[in-house]
Formats: sequence, structure tokens, C-alpha cells
Amino acid sequence: MSVTGGRIALRRPAFSVAEAFGGFRLWWLVLPAFLFFLAFFLVPLVSLLAISFNKTVPGVVTLTTAFTLDNFERIFTRSIYYSSILRSIGIGIVVAAIALILGYPLAYLIAKTEHPGRNTLLMILVLSSMQLDMVIRMYGLMVLMGDTGLINSALIWAGLIHEPLPLMYNTFGVVVGLVQVTLPFMVLSLIGIIRAIHPSLEEAARSLGASRAEAFRKVVLPLSMPGILAGSLLVFALSISSYVVPALMGGWKVMVLPIHIYQQIAESGRWQFGAAVAAVLFVTSLIAVFVYHRAAVWTSGGRT
Amino acid sequence: MRDEAPVSPVFKAVAMLTLVLLLLPVVIVVLAGLNAGEYLTFPPKGLSLRWVTAFLGSATFMSAYIYSFVLALVSTLISTVLGTLASLYLSRSRSGAAAALRGFFMLPVVLPGVVLGLALYIFYVTTDIGLARTFAGLLIGHVLVTCPFVIATVTASMVGFDLSLEEAARSLGASPWTAFRKITLRLIAPGISAGAIFAFIVSFGQFETTLFLTVPNHEPLPMAMYISLRYKFEPTAAAAGIFAIALVALSTVVSSRLVSLRRVFRA
Repeated sequence: MSVTGGRIALRRPAFSVAEAFGGFRLWWLVLPAFLFFLAFFLVPLVSLLAISFNKTVPGVVTLTTAFTLDNFERIFTRSIYYSSILRSIGIGIVVAAIALILGYPLAYLIAKTEHPGRNTLLMILVLSSMQLDMVIRMYGLMVLMGDTGLINSALIWAGLIHEPLPLMYNTFGVVVGLVQVTLPFMVLSLIGIIRAIHPSLEEAARSLGASRAEAFRKVVLPLSMPGILAGSLLVFALSISSYVVPALMGGWKVMVLPIHIYQQIAESGRWQFGAAVAAVLFVTSLIAVFVYHRAAVWTSGGRT
Repeated sequence: MRDEAPVSPVFKAVAMLTLVLLLLPVVIVVLAGLNAGEYLTFPPKGLSLRWVTAFLGSATFMSAYIYSFVLALVSTLISTVLGTLASLYLSRSRSGAAAALRGFFMLPVVLPGVVLGLALYIFYVTTDIGLARTFAGLLIGHVLVTCPFVIATVTASMVGFDLSLEEAARSLGASPWTAFRKITLRLIAPGISAGAIFAFIVSFGQFETTLFLTVPNHEPLPMAMYISLRYKFEPTAAAAGIFAIALVALSTVVSSRLVSLRRVFRA
């Protein structure tokens, strides 16, 4: 781009701030954040990955150059570990599916609500429930679902059951907890794409004789696929990463990857092995996030 | 004119169910903190402020609340400064490096919190730089997870920012620094405030990253609640929860006044 005459404005982006500090370059602004992330994010993450290739010596944590695949071999050959990888993935898939079924109608409702006040109210409800501390929300769920919780005591009080239903401290409880915490992310991933579907497309299908259900299934649903894919992958990644939900709702009986990591480090002092389990979790969620990112780019039509 | 587009009754019913699922746990925490009995039972025993009073005088939960508040305040301050400076670069630079950096800065959010906490913990221990299980070490973890929210919010608020306004000030004789301070900074101030609020909430409710980094006997609120939840449902913890819920609800309402929530969350 030439810097002549009226074209100057186009080149301006790097200009004002730069000149303000006298010879200041724009990228200096990003330097503090970049160095901070480099020192406390990238370096620790790389060391974590490196240490996962060290031989496990309980109670000792020093990075050596004697790299070995022992930890990973152990993870993929002992059923207690590989079954927890499969359990994590299985729970992630089930949670994503339920969150989609429950989240889509709410996202659709918010996308179609044109009244500004009502729309903002719904958005605020979804956002505050997303941002509220997970432990507080699990407290609420546990009071609701425990053996002496509200649901069981209400059912017993009404004479419908005699023994409390096992709603918590099992896989069912973990799934309910994860659906509760991930639903807002699903809803937020869907609102944009549903809003972008032009209402006239649905109306055209209706006027050509399609029932509301048919118009939805054949027009709206296919057009929301990118959002569905993005939301499901996001929910999946969040589900397999969560420690606090399986710890509280599963009562340490549902062994998923984050629980293994904590036990290896805090209880057995097996740092290198814990790091290896963390690496497996990290790579699994990275794959999901990478595909999510592609789906999100696709959703926004190439805009990032 | 029709106010609402037609939404099928089945959808409306499921949407309501979803809203209930989202909000019910929150309502229960509030009720548990305000109930009169030892536990929240069915049928409930009536309302009282005894647990709220107990919370205000509780050595465990009140000090955890204050600790979380201070931690969130300091990490918000740091990540707002780092994040805003970075956003100025990210939104003005057209280079490929800026696009790559934008993705890089979002990574702490997508990385499982437990993994991030563990990576920092191992890093502190192996390098022996005196950060393991200290306030500074925990603070670093919180800055990492809050900074992406500042960057996302501030860069979103700068989309569509008209640089010619700054140039107009310049051509009227303002120095570049004055033009930046009086024009640009004023215009993006709501974005920065909203970003700071998001950062505060994220830090205040952060559990996963905190897990490996807490200072012994100085637990932040989510950690203190988690520890008590493992043994029993203390109504005092629920009362602490009420104050946390109030803080989050208030912050979300304020930030919705400052920026377009849709734009920030790409919804």
C-alpha cells in the first residue's frame, strides 16, 4: 500500500499510539502480555509435557533428559487408566448430546425473541448461570439430589418410594452436574447461528406446505449444523476437563481423567505419571478444541 | 406488528425446562442459606437470617470470601492492564503475527484448568523460584485465566472503532498521547470496564486452576466451599454462596449495560 496523499488514512492503524510515545512501535504494547504468557504459560506447559516422558519416581520431581515412554505405555496398557480415558470420552459424548437436546430450544427461543428487554433478560440469565462459581451450583444440585436431598425426601414424603433413589455419587450424578455447567456454553454457541438463518427460509418451506416440524427438520436444523457441531465440541472439551463436578457429584467413585491426575499428584506423589495423564487429557481436549475452532470459523463464514 | 416469531410449544416447554435446570441450583443455594433449620429439608422449615449472620462471623467462610475478593481484585488489575495493552496491538495491527497471537492468548481458557494448575505447580517446584503454594503463584494462575476475557472483550469493543476520530483530534492540534487519552481511551472505556468485570467474576469463581496452587490455610471461597461440601452441607457455605451469587448477578447486569454481550460471546 502506498503512503501518498489520501491513502495515508488506510495505513493509520499502527500510527497514533506509536507516535505518542516517540518512536514507539505498536508491538511493544503486546510485549508485556506476551512475555507473561511465555514465562508462565508456554514454558510450564512444555515442561509438563517434557516431564511426562521422564521415568516415574514417587516423591521426586526434577526434569531430566532421560526420556522414556514408560508412563504412556502404562496408561494405555493398564485397564484402570485406559478405561478412565474411555469413561471420560463416553461421559463427554453423552453430556454433549443431552446439552444439545436441552440447549437448542432455549437458544432458538432467545434467537427468535425480538423484544429487547426480554431478550436481554434471557441473555443475562444464561450468562450469570454460566459465570457463577461451579462449586456453588454443585452445592445446589447436591442438596437437590442427595440420598436425603429434596427430591428423595419429597418422593418418600409423598409415599412414592421407600428407599432413596441413587441420584448422586454415581455416573448419573456426574452427567447431570456436567449438563448443568455446560448448558450455557451450548446455548451461546447456538444463538448466533440460529439468528443468522433468515426467517423467510422457514416461511417459504411453510408456505409450500411443510408442517412446522418438517420445516424445522429440513430447513432450520441443517442450517444450524455448524453451531451444533461447535457447541457440542465445546461442551465435550469442558466435560472431559472438569475436576470439580466428578469430584463432588461422583464422590470419587466415577474415575475420570482429572480425578486420576489429582490422585497421582496429591496422594501418591507420582509427578511424572500425573503429568502423563494430564498430557493425555490435554491432547484429547486440544483435538476437540481444534475441530471446534474450525467449526466456529465455518459458522462465521470465514471470519475469525 | 407481531412481537415474537412463532416458536413451537414443544420448544417453549423444553426451553423453560432448561432455564429451570440452569437456575434451580442457584435458587436452592439461596433457600439453603436462608432456611431456619439445620439442613434444607422437604418440606422446608421456614426462613431465617441465622446462617447469614453465621457466615458474617465465620472464620472459615468470611475470610475465604475476603481472600477471594482481594485475589480477584489484584488479578483483575494486572490482567486488565496487560490485556488492554495487548488488545490495542491486536485490533490495530494487520500482521499475521497479530492473528496468531490472538489465538495464543485464548489458550489458557481452552486448556483444562487442572492441567494449567498442575503445569504451573510443577514449574514452580522444579525451578524452585519460591512461587509454589504462595499468593503470588496463585495470582499468576488467575491472571492467565482472566486475561483472555479482557482481551476478548476489549478487542470486541474496538471492532468498528473509527480511527479518523483520533486523527481529527490530531489535526486540530492535539498531541498523539492527548488524542489517544481523550478520544480513544474514552471511547473504549466501557469495553475495558466490562472486560475487567468479566475478569473479576472468572477469578472469583475459579476452582480448577486453583486446585494445585492454593496456599495452605488460605483457601479462596470456591475451595473453602468444596472442602466443606465433601463432608456435609453447611448452611453457612450456602449463605456465603448468596453473597457470591449477588456479586455475579450484579456484575453481569452492569457489564450488559457497558458492552454488547452478543458481540463478546459471539452469540
